[in-house]
This record gives sequence, C-alpha cells and structure tokens, in this order.
Amino acid sequence: MFKIFSSLRKEFLLLINDKVGLALLFLMPLLLVFIITIIQDSAYKMVNENQIPLLVVNHDSGKEGKKLVALLDSSGLFKVDSQNGIEQSSLKSELLSRGKLLALYIPKTFSAGLESNAEDVSTILMEDLGLEHDTIGQAKVEMPRLSFYNDPVLQENYSYSVMGIIQSYMSVIENSLMIDRMYTNMDLGDKSAVLKKKMISNRVQINQIVASNNNSTVIPNSTQHNVPAWTIFAMFFMVVSLGSNIVKERVSGSFLRLKTMPTTFMLVMFSKMAIYVLVAVLQVALTFSMGIWILPKLGLPQLTVPQNFIAMVAVIFVSSMAAVSYALLIGSLSRTEQQANGFGAISIIIFGAIGGILVPTFVMPGFMQYASNFSPLHWCLEGFYVLFLKGGSWQELKYVFSFLGIFILICQLGTYFKLRLERII
Amino acid sequence: MEIPVCIEIQSVSKRYKSSQENSLTDVSIDIACADVFGLLGPNGAGKTTLISILCGIIPPTSGQVHYYMNGSQISDAKRKSKIGFVPQEYAFYQELTPRQNLDYFGAMYNISKKRLEVRREELLEILGLAKSADKKVGTFSGGMKRRINLAIGIIHEPEILFLDEPTVGVDVQSRNAIIRYLQLINESGTTIIYTSHHMSEAEEFCKHIALIDHGKVIAKGELEGLKAANHVSSLQSLFINLTGEEYRD
Repeated sequence: MFKIFSSLRKEFLLLINDKVGLALLFLMPLLLVFIITIIQDSAYKMVNENQIPLLVVNHDSGKEGKKLVALLDSSGLFKVDSQNGIEQSSLKSELLSRGKLLALYIPKTFSAGLESNAEDVSTILMEDLGLEHDTIGQAKVEMPRLSFYNDPVLQENYSYSVMGIIQSYMSVIENSLMIDRMYTNMDLGDKSAVLKKKMISNRVQINQIVASNNNSTVIPNSTQHNVPAWTIFAMFFMVVSLGSNIVKERVSGSFLRLKTMPTTFMLVMFSKMAIYVLVAVLQVALTFSMGIWILPKLGLPQLTVPQNFIAMVAVIFVSSMAAVSYALLIGSLSRTEQQANGFGAISIIIFGAIGGILVPTFVMPGFMQYASNFSPLHWCLEGFYVLFLKGGSWQELKYVFSFLGIFILICQLGTYFKLRLERII
Repeated sequence: MEIPVCIEIQSVSKRYKSSQENSLTDVSIDIACADVFGLLGPNGAGKTTLISILCGIIPPTSGQVHYYMNGSQISDAKRKSKIGFVPQEYAFYQELTPRQNLDYFGAMYNISKKRLEVRREELLEILGLAKSADKKVGTFSGGMKRRINLAIGIIHEPEILFLDEPTVGVDVQSRNAIIRYLQLINESGTTIIYTSHHMSEAEEFCKHIALIDHGKVIAKGELEGLKAANHVSSLQSLFINLTGEEYRD
C-alpha cells in the first residue's frame, strides 16, 4: 500500500508543480466555457429571442402594403425600419450602408395586383356556382412580386426562414382579400369576418417535441453545448501536461531506473492514469458547477444536471480514460517535450474542430460529419448530449462506449508497444 | 581464502537491432563480492551496454549473467532488490525536492516508511544535501544532482552497486564526497561496479578492472598486476598502451 501511495503521491506532486499544465487543465476550460457560452448565447438569442432588423420600402399606393407592414411589425419577430423614400434601384446600397441584413420592397401595384387576383378567384367561383356578378370597369393587374434583399453574410437557410415568415403573412392577406371579394360579389355584406377568423385561426398546429427518453422538456442551448464541449476539450488538453510528463521521465532515464527496481511499470502507469482521471473528474465538477451556479447569474441558461446519474458517471469516466490514454500515447511517441506539447495541442484542436466542439457537427458538410466519427472528442460530446438531451439512454450510450472503448484500447496498446520497443517495459 | 564470486558474466554478446556490428562480443568476467570493479574503456567501447545488461535493463543477444549471494545463485526478481543503479543521466524528478525523490524511489525498493525516513535523512546528511532537502532539484548545481543520483541508487543499501560515470561533470569537492562515501560502503561489504573516464580516480578507487574496447575485453584482472605485466606505472599509461591514442567517436 505504501508503494501505491508513494507512486500516486509522486504523480500528484509532479502535477501540482506543473503550473502551466494546471492553468491549462483548470483555468482554460472555465474561461472557454464562460467566453464561448456568452458569445454563442448572443448568437442564439439573435435568432430566437431578439427581433430581426428589417428595412421596409413600401411604394404601394393601396392599403394592402400598409397592412403587410403592420402585420410584420405587430408579429414581434421583426424590428421594422420603414424607409419609403428610398428608390428600389438604390435599395441594395442602402441596405449595406445602413448596416441592415434584410430588406423588403413592396411595389406600387401591390394592392392592385392582389385585389385583381382576388377578383379573378371570386369570378371563377361565382361562375362555377352559376351566380351573376358585375365585372365591368375592373382593370386586370398582374400578380405583384415582392422583392426580398439579404446580405450575403447571412446563411441561406436563415434567409429562407425569414422569407417563409413573410410568405405566411402574405397568405393571411391574400385569403382575407379573396373572402372579402367573394362576400361582396355575393352581396353578403360584412359577414366575412367569422369565416376569415375561422380560416386563419383554425389551421393545423405543429407541436414541437424534444426527442428524449425521459419526457424531458430540456432543449439544447448554448450552455448545454458549451459546458460539456469545452470540458472535453480541456480533458484532452491534458496531453500537454501528462504527455510532456511522460517524455521527461523517458528522456531523463527515470523509467529505465525504475526497470532496475523491484517494482512493476504497471504501477507507474496506473498512478498516472488514476491521478489524471481524477483531474478530469475535477474539471467536470468545476465546469459543471459553473454551468449550474454561475452562468445563470450572468443571464445565461442554467445547466440542467442529467437525471441518469450512473450514466453520467460512466460517460465522465470513459471520456476521462479516452483523454488520459491519448495523452499516454502522445507522451510515449514523442521524442521531446516540444513534440508532445506541439503535436498534442494541435491534434486536440483538430479533433475538436472536426468533432463538433468548436462548431456543432450538424452545420458541417456531409463529408465532415462523416469525418467527425473519427474524433474521440465527438464521441465524448455525443455521450454528454445523450445525457443532457436524451435522458442518458443506455441504448444510445452503447455506441459512445463502443467507439471510446476501441479508442482507449488502441491508445493503450500503442503506448505499451512503443514503451516495449524502447525496452522500458 | 578464496573470495566468492558475486557476478558471473559468461560469453555475453550484444548486437542492437539498428546496428550491423556487435556492441559487445563474448565478454566473460567474474566479479568478486565486496570488490570495487572498474569497467574502463574509451567512448563507445560498450561499458554502458554491459552495465545495462548487468542491471537487467536490456537482455544480452547471447551469453548469460549469474548473480550469487552467500554462495547461491539468485533469481532475477531477488536480484532487483539487491542491486543499486546510478546511471550517467540525472534519472530523477527535477520538479521534486531531494526528500520527495528519495521517498518515491525508496518506496519503489519496498523500504518501509519508518526505515525510509531514517535512511533518507542519513543520506541527505552524509552527502551534504540536508540544507537543500526541500528545494526543487531542478535548481541545483551539477555536483548536487550527482549526489542525489547516487543517494537514490543506494537508498535501499544494495549489496551490489552499479555506477555509470558517477562523477562526470562535477567539481572536486563533490567528487571527493562521492568517492569517499563509495569507499565507505565498499568497506562495509558492498560490491561496486564502476565506469569512469577519470583514470586517476579509477586508479585510486578500483581493486580490479576490465578494459573494454570495440566491445571486447582486452585486459582484466587485479589493477597492480596489470600495470606490472604491461610495465607501466599508471592506469592512464596502461589505458593508452592498450587502447591506442587515436580519437574515438
């Protein structure tokens, strides 16, 4: 026992003497979680909570244009900036010079065109019903076209979403006009209000349900992505501390000296793994505490602790082991500390980028989403997603554990064979 | 009365996988118990390779090494607790203090906590490290580091001690302290196998030597006898006579 204690103590002492390593292990994830969560939360709010700035130029001579602007304004989704004095030809440059991302141009014939179309629909209906109506004196106007301008920096799907919203308001106006026209032609007076209300308000509703095994209503937010993501990133960044620690021991001859002693090298490796798994657990405790208690005080979403505690412990342990095993492999393959630090850090950044730590994988192109399967950080993150968003489903976690299990095995075997090749084991 | 043999090296050869030539060829030496045995030779002669084989760090390509204690051959497992090894490199943790280093390596030799505490303080005192015992080793001079390197190798009071150039790069004071202490533990019965490029130091310290060159033993035996047989008055002259004056890589 004294031998095991001494070995663990030595690893602990080496760790606490590595001030830069400690800062990377504990300060870096806190800063990353703090900064990136704030940044991404702002972006999240821009789309989901804040109003979308929209420059509107209404040249319509009728009342339907005003109605559309009023609908957009009252929807609460847009912050409408009406600038009716701008010509359509200069709208592009105005959009850019005013720093707006979106603009809508309503043409002069907007109302006339819609009314003409409503009249046509009404006429067809009246004729089909065999009813007479007066069509004399009504000029035919082409169906109007709205022009939608967007800054090229906006994602295409974002622009399409906004156009979809405008389209739905247009449907309200067009249906309303058609009903009014039909009621007028049928001499039914002002009775159209009930039908319009029925048609507009009684549409098929879409319920949004989060796919989760525990009926959780938790939906992904910036905290739930960033807290586990940057914790995993920091876990794997232990490659800088543990990797260079191993290189030092190899290069200094300490490992070879141990070979002449009545001890097993497994004890050395076990001690390193035990201490660094503990470090990883502390990293999780630290960043999760921040997500639970500090981030809400800054107006950011609170981290909801997963209900499946056993699954959470398993995910944390397997992720830690993956990070430790990778650090051992890099430490055993590198010839110098500089190699271990440089290659280790860069490889983690690359693994993080393709693994969905920096940018979620679902916004990546198809081939990059496929490539993310080869990043251990991706599988660790998947494990935390399953915990947070899917109630810690063991069914889904089995894929996470399988991949990470294989990764751990490869790293451990790689380390073993490299050290054996050097006759350290 | 014949002195019993502690280490029997039988026709040991070593060729590294990356090399076309043998690093050691058919080396056979008997080392008596309580001897101070010098393995001497120019750079690249094969001294460190032989010490590495004797300590069990690398296996020989062919040949055998046997260890004896009280007349009986001992197993590899038992050998590990009986030998001490002081490598050329500073093979310890520069981030830790001398106390912490000795505590760790002492525990790896299976020394009990109480015994380790006593032995640790004793060595720190003898080797002049007591005042700096709680400072990080990384800040120490070369001489102090050499003394810590030695202290780690003898923390468990080994019966056989291997020293690979234990005084290289140290000042006269540190060298004196190291050699004096080694003589002291040899007088108490510890067998010492030692390599060095300091011929005057080896001459003063060693009772028997083996001169190795190009992986082969070119001379071995009692130091004074070898000098007389080769009609030289010093070990340095003997060394030059037998190994030549050309530069070695």
